[in-house]
Amino acid sequence: MSTLHRLKVEFSGGLELLFGNQRVHTLSLPAVIPVDEARPSEPRSTDVTYLIHYLRTHLLTDRPELFVEGDTIRPGILVLINDTDWELEGEGAYELKNGDEIVFISTLHGG
Amino acid sequence: MSSCGNPSTDQDALMPRRLRFNKGKDCIKCKANPGKIVIRHAVYCKECFIPLVMLKFRRSLEPSVNASAGTSKRPKLKASGSLVLGFSGGLGSSILLDMVHKTYFVNESSANGEARGGTNHPRSASVWTSCAVCYVEVCSAFPETRDRTNEIIKALAPYPKFDFIPLRLEYAFDDSWWRSITTTDQDRSQLTIELGKDGLYTEALRHGPSCDLSPVDALRTYLASLPTQTAISSAIRILVRLLLLYTARSHRASHLLLGTSLTTLSISLISCISQGGGHSIREEFQEEWYYGIPATTENADAIRVVRPLRDVTMKECSMFAWWNSIHVVGRDGQIRATAGIPGLTKDFIVGLEKDYPSTVSTIARTCAKLEPKNASPGLCILCQRPIQEGLDDWKTRISIRSYSDAKLGPDLVYLPTPVPPNSSDVTMSDQCPSISKQLCYSCRTTLTSRGSRAAKPTQPRVIHSTQQPLSAPLPMWVSASCAQLRTEDRQLMVLGNGEVWVGKRQDDATQRNEIAEFLLDT
Repeated sequence: MSTLHRLKVEFSGGLELLFGNQRVHTLSLPAVIPVDEARPSEPRSTDVTYLIHYLRTHLLTDRPELFVEGDTIRPGILVLINDTDWELEGEGAYELKNGDEIVFISTLHGG
Repeated sequence: MSSCGNPSTDQDALMPRRLRFNKGKDCIKCKANPGKIVIRHAVYCKECFIPLVMLKFRRSLEPSVNASAGTSKRPKLKASGSLVLGFSGGLGSSILLDMVHKTYFVNESSANGEARGGTNHPRSASVWTSCAVCYVEVCSAFPETRDRTNEIIKALAPYPKFDFIPLRLEYAFDDSWWRSITTTDQDRSQLTIELGKDGLYTEALRHGPSCDLSPVDALRTYLASLPTQTAISSAIRILVRLLLLYTARSHRASHLLLGTSLTTLSISLISCISQGGGHSIREEFQEEWYYGIPATTENADAIRVVRPLRDVTMKECSMFAWWNSIHVVGRDGQIRATAGIPGLTKDFIVGLEKDYPSTVSTIARTCAKLEPKNASPGLCILCQRPIQEGLDDWKTRISIRSYSDAKLGPDLVYLPTPVPPNSSDVTMSDQCPSISKQLCYSCRTTLTSRGSRAAKPTQPRVIHSTQQPLSAPLPMWVSASCAQLRTEDRQLMVLGNGEVWVGKRQDDATQRNEIAEFLLDT
């Protein structure tokens, strides 16, 4: 039986409206991506790209085009991994660890 | 890799994407802490990032605070009037509000509770006498949206020193609001116009039981009459801007601050140019508003419209708000974001910022260097920005129009409302001239130009007392400007038998010259 990563995912800046108006979600994801999901070729560790895929298929309730673009997030959404810009952590390739906190902030809600 | 051409035929069309950061993961400023954010390929820690944003804010704002530069290298900051802050509840204005409050209205105490530097320190003196936060509720323009004024009031609770001025978009058509903020005793009869037609001739809206429009109806009729989605977005933007400016004027403000970030400024600049507003690009960047009249030496006290976050990107704003726990109300931006040229420009610039963050800054810096070749002959009566000189000649040269199609003609050409013969209730003063010459190129194009794919605009919902379709009402400041035109320019009247009468008011000297030979010497 594979181990599970327990993650805290938070949405801010209006993104919570796309996720049932709930800001904070606690998720348990497998440490290894299931072969039949997202990347069918070979098993690999759960990364942020898989998290985005998981959020889109399991938690997103409204208008996916406002959250994702292809297999990454839409421009204008800031992602923090443990309070650090995800660009410093390798963006979608960052391998998730147990207890990680991921924050998605929309910057597209007016000036 | 991003495409800037056709990659299938041209291998060089794919531009290699630069590394997100190229000088290590540590903060480039303190060189000690691990980096937390990447800003235009530079890495900063949290401790260095927050003062950096505050520095950018003060560097953009403070050179504009004093009425004159003076000779001192570090002049004491003192504004000539009060401060009005435009607040939308969005990201930029939320952090602007917090920054203004912490920087200029709260003297942060030291550890022992005393004000830093003592009570006589210049820091303790108020730069502005007071600050009012102005919010424009736009829900009347979008029936599917809700009124968020109460949410805004809650968001302003942590700032008790600031006054709150709630406005509504329909105030632009509200005579009582206009009377409350203007002191002149002008003709306030509201004007209407048939939008989408050449000439843009105005008609006076006759007050009566069947056409006494409520401000909300007037707003909706005006927006429904606009020919394109772009025109609607542009109209709302102009209405919000002028409502803020007139409110700032009524509060004797010297400064109006807006929370426009570098990203939103670049969007505005490109969008403005795309809609024919290139002549007033400087005003889009930074504006001095002289109460709707051209600047002269006598009216030196203008309202300065300043965008203190113009060097701070949207990403920096988001991080600043997150790390400082600033509550952002947000707004239903998706409704407006998808509409017309502004929405398309926003998508383009936001995508550009993700892949090539420095180019967004380049847009703003390049536009800051632009200025018109010639002085402006006046201000547009709708947006109150400079009009381009020789606009009619230029437009004649670049436009080819034919109304030979009998079906198309009536949709594009203005046909004045016929007046019954011997009608006593319609006088020359009821008929108003064309406002075409008093509009800038951008406003004129916005009001008349239909997109090739646009559907024919729906008829305005309001009906004249004579049961003919009534054209759209115009904002109060346009009516006020036209009141002056009515006495100066030509007046048009069409009688029921088809005769067209054009009246032109002459000044006393010209009139005297014309009849000079008939005057008796006294």
